[in-house]
Amino acid sequence: MRMKIGLEVHEQLATKRKLCCDCPTDYREDPPNTNVCPICTAMPGAKPMPPNVKAVDAVIELALMLGCEVVLDQPIYVQRKHYDYPDLPAGYQHSSTPIGINGELVGVRIREVHLEEDPGAYDPVAGTVDFNRCGVPLVEIVTEPDMHSPEEARRFLRQLMRVLDYSGKVRPEPGTLRADTNISLEGGTRVEIKNINSTKGAYRAVKFEVMRQRALIERGAVIPYETRAYLESQMITVPMRMKVVDFHVIPDPDIFPIVIDRARVETIRKRMVEAPHQREQRLVKQYQISQAVAGVIVSERELADLFEAVAKEVDPKLVATWFQTNLKKVLNYMKLRATEVKFTHKQLAGLLRMVKAKRITPEQGELVLRKLVEQPAEPEELLRKLGLGRLGRAELSAAIARTIEENPKAVKDYRAGRKEALNFLAGKVMKLTRGRADPREILKFLSAKLKGKKKRRVSRRTKRSK
Amino acid sequence: MGRGTIEKLGAIQQGELSATENVQQALDRIKKLDKKIKAFIELNPNALAEAEAVDCKLKRGEHMGKLAGLTIGIKSNINVKGLRATCASRTLENYVSPYDAEVIRRVRDAGGIIVGMNNMDEFACGSSGETSSFGPTDNPVAPGHIPGGSSSGSAAAIAAGMCDICLGTDTGGAIRNPASHCGVVGIRPTQGLVPAHGLIELAVSFDQIGPLAPDVYGAALMLETIAGHNPKECTSLDSPSVNYSDKLGIGIENIRVGTSSKFSELTDSAVMGVIDGAVEKLHDLGAEVVEVELPNLEKSLSAYYVIMFAEFFSATRKFDGRKYGRRIEEVCGDEVLRRITCGDYISRKDQHDRHYKRALQVRTLMRREFGEALNKVDVIVGPTVPKLPHQLGTKLSPAEMYAYDYLTSPINLAGICAGTVKAGEASGIPVGLQVQGKVLGEETVLRVMRALEAVK
Repeated sequence: MRMKIGLEVHEQLATKRKLCCDCPTDYREDPPNTNVCPICTAMPGAKPMPPNVKAVDAVIELALMLGCEVVLDQPIYVQRKHYDYPDLPAGYQHSSTPIGINGELVGVRIREVHLEEDPGAYDPVAGTVDFNRCGVPLVEIVTEPDMHSPEEARRFLRQLMRVLDYSGKVRPEPGTLRADTNISLEGGTRVEIKNINSTKGAYRAVKFEVMRQRALIERGAVIPYETRAYLESQMITVPMRMKVVDFHVIPDPDIFPIVIDRARVETIRKRMVEAPHQREQRLVKQYQISQAVAGVIVSERELADLFEAVAKEVDPKLVATWFQTNLKKVLNYMKLRATEVKFTHKQLAGLLRMVKAKRITPEQGELVLRKLVEQPAEPEELLRKLGLGRLGRAELSAAIARTIEENPKAVKDYRAGRKEALNFLAGKVMKLTRGRADPREILKFLSAKLKGKKKRRVSRRTKRSK
Repeated sequence: MGRGTIEKLGAIQQGELSATENVQQALDRIKKLDKKIKAFIELNPNALAEAEAVDCKLKRGEHMGKLAGLTIGIKSNINVKGLRATCASRTLENYVSPYDAEVIRRVRDAGGIIVGMNNMDEFACGSSGETSSFGPTDNPVAPGHIPGGSSSGSAAAIAAGMCDICLGTDTGGAIRNPASHCGVVGIRPTQGLVPAHGLIELAVSFDQIGPLAPDVYGAALMLETIAGHNPKECTSLDSPSVNYSDKLGIGIENIRVGTSSKFSELTDSAVMGVIDGAVEKLHDLGAEVVEVELPNLEKSLSAYYVIMFAEFFSATRKFDGRKYGRRIEEVCGDEVLRRITCGDYISRKDQHDRHYKRALQVRTLMRREFGEALNKVDVIVGPTVPKLPHQLGTKLSPAEMYAYDYLTSPINLAGICAGTVKAGEASGIPVGLQVQGKVLGEETVLRVMRALEAVK
């Protein structure tokens, strides 16, 4: 059954000040109703300040990252959207007309990007409202109904979240996302689902909705046009009591329309962050790496930044491989995000140069890397601390000789054709050299030595017999 | 009382009259007259203490502001910290302002002493002063008649000599209309000249705070005190400050004064007779009188009401009964409820284009029409209100009541400035001449007003 899914994604902007007043935007740590003033609590007579320039700039930047055209040299109205709820002290919410239009992200068209304002936080159980959040600027991104399955919706949201994270313009804390989802099945009616606040939630809500609506359609029932709420705990949607049918939208006469000129957009374009999906394509071309590797590298902006810095100094292909495997592995193991990494790109480049020059083995490299992540220092120093450093040929030979001497049974087994005995012996050599030798080299020399000895012995015997 | 603002200020500065005495006189007069007139809703309990502080500074010879020692009345829709900004409504009858409006801050800085909060039409919804929840205000100079509105208490307080200067607000004529009926001076400044922060709105895009005073000098003095950019406000104009009071006496020789035949079409002949006389006086003083075209003037009234309804509906959504007193619809008077209901309807999505959008087009038209007319002349003069004030208690239909705003509301649509000064009397009732100026043309408007005032 064909379906159409469209999203309206809200995310808080990471500005220090609210949209129309000077109050701080912190509503998580501070005691309730401390970051408030007559403006954001809509005291009678209070007039808004001019909209926060940084918030408007952030929306322009996000619009550009999503491939939108910015609405230029025309009034962008800050509108009043009226509804009656305890979280809304003015009785209306500010919401701008589109700032960006006609964008695109991973095949989904972006209809518009605009500015909004968060309401306060109402606790219906306690009957209290905290207005610290009231007036925090939001970006709202509206897509066309271009997604056709829960999986596609999830994929799009993931990509979108990556763009938002990348921009650095939205609040980094989790749980600030709100994704109102519109879904209609062929032969059905459009239904809106609110109260979704994660990618996973969107996926589950859509999945449930599809099931519910399909069952209704199959039974020949009419799907009412309605707004439903997603219940995270039960993974279902339920009808939402919605009194608002009309927001009585008017341009806010308290606020002059915003007009954006080309110069402003170009200034932002120059300093803005490259969007991850665009960066991914560039990395593929510029460094001749695979799409998959590029995808891993751009998953976090700081990771991609680090990659590009290191790739300037060492063979990009080696760097790419290391990022995809070793570095990602170490970071995952230590549960770190790239932004939390403390070492410099020079230090990592130094390490990879040693690997490239075969001064150390990749395995040793990974040990150093782990140390580097824990306690950043110059790779040489870490190498010393770890007592690593590639073994000299003589040392390796001595260790191999000693191993052969101490393990006659294994030697005998190997010569008797038991190949796995070689790995056992190699392990012993590794232990003896405390991991400083390259396992590939150990195997090479060890097998050469065992074969060589055999040959030599044979030849000696031959000599004797002669 | 009884002397002009200049003389009063001189007496205070020379120590002949202390600020405390001035305030005491005002309070005595209010006590004596206000039971009948109802110009005040609440008095400032600290007025005398504030006056003593001003006197101390005066005695020490400290530099004092322009309003030092003058008694000021404030319309009840302007926030004065510690006093109730009731908007003459039951909805806000217990709302004590937690902050000072920007204009109040400026008045205090200038040494003005706030004596109390003036009566008004409820939420400024009215042109007669009769819609106040605290009872209608009487007209001190034409007892038994309405004082006009919605700054009814402000105009009446000045006319009765209860205080020196008042701050009113003008959305569709609410300063000029009562100034005309009460025979006092009132200025509606250019949209955005005076900061609006702290003004509880009727319709934000038309509201302006302005002075009401016994003479043009007092109005000019107050205007220059409160005018000027407030960077914390979106719609505040960044205009250079002007000392209007210094330039009042320049005269009006060679000033071009426009009149329009439209005015007499819309105005009662008794009123028009007084106005024609005033225009003649201006001509005698050396002004050149020119006819200007205002072809769409009469269209503005309905456009004004449509936009105001929509903005008023929006502005009153915060009075939902959760934070301030009771829900507005449950306790307000008929006129306020009518405007909310109309605004609710007009701003509905399906009605938006039919009314609101067209009204906005008329607004643009008015801007252009007045702009073009004022390119040809320095000011346009005409009547303020098309008819004389009715007797208190007369039943008027809403349409009849709204018609009071025929000649004042176009100025609010155009966003320009206008002042009213007494032109004479008809049947013993004052009639005000409306002097309409360009954007930021207050200086010229005040000069013309002063010239007429000086002939009397």
